[in-house]
Amino acid sequence: MAEYIKLIDLTKCTGCRACQVACKQWNELPAEKTGFSGSLQNPLDLSYDTWTLIRYDEFEEDGGTKWIMRHDACMHCDWPACVKACPSPGALVKTDTGAVVHDKRFCIGCKACVVACPFDIPRYSKKEEKIAKCTLCYDRITDGKPPACVNACPTGCLQFGPKEQMIEQAHKRADAVGGAVYPSNPKYETHVLYVIPTEIQLAQLQHVNPNPKMPTTILWWKNLFKPFTLLGIGGVAGLAALHYMIKGPHRVSEKEEGGEADG
Amino acid sequence: MAKREGMVRVTDATERITHWLLAGSCLFALLTGLGLMFHQWEIIPTLLGGYYATKWMHIFSGVVFAVSLIAAMIMWWHECKFVADDGKWIMQAGGYLWEAEDLPPAGMYNAGQKIFFWFVVVFGIIIVLSGLVMWNPLVFPVVLARWAYMLHVMSVFAVASFVIAHIYLGTFANPGTVQIMFTGWATKAYCEEHKGRWLADRELKAEAESAAE
Ligand code: SF4
Repeated sequence: MAEYIKLIDLTKCTGCRACQVACKQWNELPAEKTGFSGSLQNPLDLSYDTWTLIRYDEFEEDGGTKWIMRHDACMHCDWPACVKACPSPGALVKTDTGAVVHDKRFCIGCKACVVACPFDIPRYSKKEEKIAKCTLCYDRITDGKPPACVNACPTGCLQFGPKEQMIEQAHKRADAVGGAVYPSNPKYETHVLYVIPTEIQLAQLQHVNPNPKMPTTILWWKNLFKPFTLLGIGGVAGLAALHYMIKGPHRVSEKEEGGEADG
Repeated sequence: MAKREGMVRVTDATERITHWLLAGSCLFALLTGLGLMFHQWEIIPTLLGGYYATKWMHIFSGVVFAVSLIAAMIMWWHECKFVADDGKWIMQAGGYLWEAEDLPPAGMYNAGQKIFFWFVVVFGIIIVLSGLVMWNPLVFPVVLARWAYMLHVMSVFAVASFVIAHIYLGTFANPGTVQIMFTGWATKAYCEEHKGRWLADRELKAEAESAAE
């Protein structure tokens, strides 16, 4: 199976939210009851039932208002911190399409993935004791169809295709509009890319990690101290066995009076 | 409790129960924790009824561990304070590695056991506190929560290694030791060898008491 990438071109988003609705429909996610918040963003955050969301950032510009609309969902990391953190095999899986997929049957609701994720994507449901997030429509893309959000997007802001082709297209587009491709950390690749025009500063936007990477604490937890536990237990047990063979048990020197002290 | 010929009563029931609650919850939490951490060892969660059940068993054994750790701290804090002789004991590694000529007699606990106690106290507290964060990580700042996961396993590495040494020293290395935590009794000879200062203090006290009567 080929590796895929979803490309999000911020210059083309009109904030119509077709993607947000298509996601709900394909994944059979219930609508949320929301209230008036003073923002166009609705609902205000991702949730167990909202896997993708258009975020609206509002700016004053030349006396008028300017919005930046951003399609926010799982970034499908190539080296996913959530998968590294997950204790339950099968609950979070990186597939060879590049999609990182969760399986509610195996999730034990420990919330480690929520903590580990550098993009703050998985959402926990207290009621279900499980997490949920975007799957890159794994069930569609393995059937040769684009993800539901890409399928619904009317402007070409969302595109989907083979990895190399999308990377090339992203850089071409970034050069054409004078912008950058995000994320750009070669050590932490993702299967979702953004084209961000120069006039948009990442730091101005909500819910963006300007420098995504594998969190060091998560890396040390799993790649350093986890093997250390076995090394420590095994090493000390080995030393103890050596000590027993070389020095033997320390028996009480005087003759035992009465009791059976041997163990 | 009746006297036993040639035997000395070293621990009371409270002490023994606390010890085994602490040890049992520690080992069970270690087992379930390893089962959750090493996907290769699926056999552990499978035998315990699945990953979800194992998660809750890990949490509950952690709670038992926390409570018995507090009890252990109250009980052994004073006896585990270091005294001048402990330095000499440590310099000679307790006589375990080479022949020590002038090993000072230990009190209730020797310096090695005291080090183990303080080790368990310090890393046990880190394990309990980080475990509490991991139980409900979403109410804490994410950086703190990530640190908790790392510190939890780092402290387990420290304590688990020492626990193996503790088990070896209490069984194979020193016959007659683990019985103290089962029956409460040790031979007089054992106490003279391992708890000389404690035994002498005790006999002095007993003499003073009988003299006062
Ligand atoms: S909450 Fe579920 S998916 Fe996330 S790390 Fe825990 S078991 Fe894995």
